Amino acid sequence: MVNESRSYKVLRYVFLIGAVIFVIVPILPLIFMAFKTGSEYSSTSVLVPPQNWFNFYNFKYAIRVGNLGKALINTGIILAVSLSVQLLFTTMVSYVLHRFEFTGKRVVFTLFLLTMFIPVVTTQTIVFQIIYKLGLVNKMLSVILLYSGVNIVGIFIMLNQLNAIPKELDESALIDGASYFRIYASIILPNMKPACITLLIINGIGYYNDFYIPNLYLRKEVQTFTVALHKFFGNTATPFEIVAAAILLGIVPIMIVFIFLQKHIFYGLAGAVKS
Amino acid sequence: MIHTKGTKLLIASFLVIPVLHLLVFSYIPIISNIALSFTNYNGVNPPQWVGLKNYQRLFTDPQYLQLFKNCLWYMVVAIPQLIFAFILAVFVNGKFRGINFFKGVLIVPYLLNGVIISTIFIIFFNNSGTLNSILKALGLGSLAQQWLHNLRLVNPAIASISIWRYYGLNFLMFFGGLQAISSELYEAAAIDGCTKWQEIRYISIPSILNILFINVLLSISGSIQVFEIPYIMLNGANGTATPVIQIQQSAFAENRVGFASALSIVVFIIVVLAVGLQRLLDKKESIIDG
Repeated sequence: MVNESRSYKVLRYVFLIGAVIFVIVPILPLIFMAFKTGSEYSSTSVLVPPQNWFNFYNFKYAIRVGNLGKALINTGIILAVSLSVQLLFTTMVSYVLHRFEFTGKRVVFTLFLLTMFIPVVTTQTIVFQIIYKLGLVNKMLSVILLYSGVNIVGIFIMLNQLNAIPKELDESALIDGASYFRIYASIILPNMKPACITLLIINGIGYYNDFYIPNLYLRKEVQTFTVALHKFFGNTATPFEIVAAAILLGIVPIMIVFIFLQKHIFYGLAGAVKS
Repeated sequence: MIHTKGTKLLIASFLVIPVLHLLVFSYIPIISNIALSFTNYNGVNPPQWVGLKNYQRLFTDPQYLQLFKNCLWYMVVAIPQLIFAFILAVFVNGKFRGINFFKGVLIVPYLLNGVIISTIFIIFFNNSGTLNSILKALGLGSLAQQWLHNLRLVNPAIASISIWRYYGLNFLMFFGGLQAISSELYEAAAIDGCTKWQEIRYISIPSILNILFINVLLSISGSIQVFEIPYIMLNGANGTATPVIQIQQSAFAENRVGFASALSIVVFIIVVLAVGLQRLLDKKESIIDG
């Protein structure tokens, strides 16, 4: 690296601190608000911190009324099932595409590739009718089904990883009499772990935060976390300081995951982009 | 590799469910959409052919043209968003005290969902909200506005939220690109006595030009698909509706499935153009031949 001059270093900190302020300023009033009492909220400026940082009334109220706990569990179930299924199928498709020559391989790959031209938002008028005919509207299975599909980004991540697994490993196992399925299960799959983590992080964040699909398919009792938050937020009878507390509760799970997986998230996302 | 019956069975069994899923939930819907866009289908009665009427309506009725005009704001704000993200990536690409803190904080917005971000920015743009309070505190109270109710300002205001929300993604992509530059290039530059500015100008920028272009196209395809922020914050009111909000409205509230299909196809074509250009730049298909 070229030596960084002193002025460059100063400029870096000025800019980065500016960026941190840019990130934090919109969030700060939300945090303040979540700890304010109703009368305090209406009488003080949004920029003024709460008088009592230990006022948890809003949080208790949000948990009790907002149905948020149940919704969070639903989101957990949906994520666990659909991500596992998706991961399994993505590794299977990628293994076959990477290690075998067969008629129709180009066609299959192209079919997956071209889905990147078909945004989810342009197909839902018809997909909704299909889900409706399957009798899955307002059931968790609808969202699970839609999330479980194999997407091309996942295939790329897996193919990159497969490039790094030597084919000699497969071949020596084959000579030892292992079946291809055995090779997939005991050689390929364990060696794909880093790529699997990357895919889990990318789609985990995406699905946890998704609002469009669950808002279309889960509008009744069964709700995901984003839909429940939205219902809560859309109800004008709910005092806004309670909404703020609920939103803050919504940030907590993703921040916990983030703190534990920060390194993976950063390099997973940046690495996926690179690949 | 050897092709036995067992191999074929394995290939078929590993592919059949994912490919079926793909056909049922992507290809059949998009093809049906194309067909239905030329009909007056309402979800109940058998569709009747109406030719290009839906498309004509879309491109002549000011109410619908407005939808696409709104998207332009989201493309406009992508420019400062990309510049900001690029400068951040250049600064973060290096070794310095506090790097992990900055990296951590900077990608927080990207991890938040649309409902959370909408709430944050309702508070931000409210009459007695964050922005107006700051303006007043700075003695600029005359600039304070009803940001979400001023019909001239509401679209640029809510479009600018995407700078806050998505710069983190662009930053990660630029950062990934900068990290991929060979260290030999930097060493050579150091030996030649380059300044930091020359390094950025002659190494960093040319090396990630490709990624910059991909980001621009991503922004275009993202802008045409905007849904969450205007839907959650304003339910598309005050002239903030976007094509995707209108698709949902037409298909599910007004039962105008044919019209919604036509609108879907227009969005689809714009995405095809943007993503298609991006693919031309970024050839990846060769990977399965390797």
